[in-house]
Amino acid sequence: MTVNDLAKIDGFNTIILSDGSLEVSSAYTGDLLSDVIANVGDDSVLITVQAHKNTIAVCSLSSMPAIVICNGRSCPDDMIKAAKENDISIFETDDTQFLASVKIAKALNL
Amino acid sequence: MKIKLDLHNHSCLSPCGSDDMLPSLLAFEAMEKGIDILALTDHNCSRNLEPFQEACELCQILPIFGMEINTIEDVHVLSLFKSLNDAQEFGFYIESLLPNIKNDPRLFGNQNIVDIEGNIISTFEKSLLTTCGITLEDVVSETLSRDGLVIPAHIDKKANSILANLGFLPDLDYSALEAIRPQDIKETHNKTVIQGSDAHYLEHIGRRFCYLEVDEISYEGLKKGLIDGKVSYKK
Repeated sequence: MTVNDLAKIDGFNTIILSDGSLEVSSAYTGDLLSDVIANVGDDSVLITVQAHKNTIAVCSLSSMPAIVICNGRSCPDDMIKAAKENDISIFETDDTQFLASVKIAKALNL
Repeated sequence: MKIKLDLHNHSCLSPCGSDDMLPSLLAFEAMEKGIDILALTDHNCSRNLEPFQEACELCQILPIFGMEINTIEDVHVLSLFKSLNDAQEFGFYIESLLPNIKNDPRLFGNQNIVDIEGNIISTFEKSLLTTCGITLEDVVSETLSRDGLVIPAHIDKKANSILANLGFLPDLDYSALEAIRPQDIKETHNKTVIQGSDAHYLEHIGRRFCYLEVDEISYEGLKKGLIDGKVSYKK
């Protein structure tokens, strides 16, 4: 699927859609960003509560096209700006990381 | 001159700190260990810095007034000041950013505010063992704008450190870096890497420290010494 398909998931609000055509082939759920860097695969969407600019740097480093920020947390402006500059899309949801992961797993037919 | 430096210590205000960790005992014990410049850095709170100042005056140690701030990223950063007033003012701001979660002393320990004799004046109600609503970047800029020193704490620790939580060191204007094993830090970003005891118990005081070459024992001397970076560690 693509980033555009993430935008269609129930309960996901699009904060910024940078490049909706980018491929999403997997997902990684985690709040410890060093663990994300160490273990994430390419083209994964990141499911996390880490709503700050440094998360964008981690996604950029690990070729992640999108982030889903969970538990109703909101993204600061500098994070959204950095996402735009790095072709990364951001979605916010009131879902927990578990529920967001389940929804994405279904969308990926896992 | 070569001085002995320890910029990371907790008192009985930090819930994880022992009730015996009175600011006055910290200063006296550090004097015994030959520390020349000493900081008190309780978690997210500056309310035990006043007795710390009084005790350091008696012990003729240069006090540095600090806090160990827990940022939104769950990263621990030392924010250090020359004057008690600056540290207290910034401390009140940090307190206001803490979430409204009451500390449960049975689970996390007491948060005692004490005087120089160790009498408990009051206890701090909100839990200090949590992240407060400030980003790492804002801790750096807010501290520097008050002429403070900002030092990411124990960057090589497996939890609550920049390298563990973020996976990399964002390029910010740190005054130095603190590590548990400074010799093993490969990427220092041209910053001086210091070692601090992160004492939570009386027996921890002085367990880690470093030597720093400074022109004089003063806040300005410390600041310049950290830039010059002539640091060495305990054998």
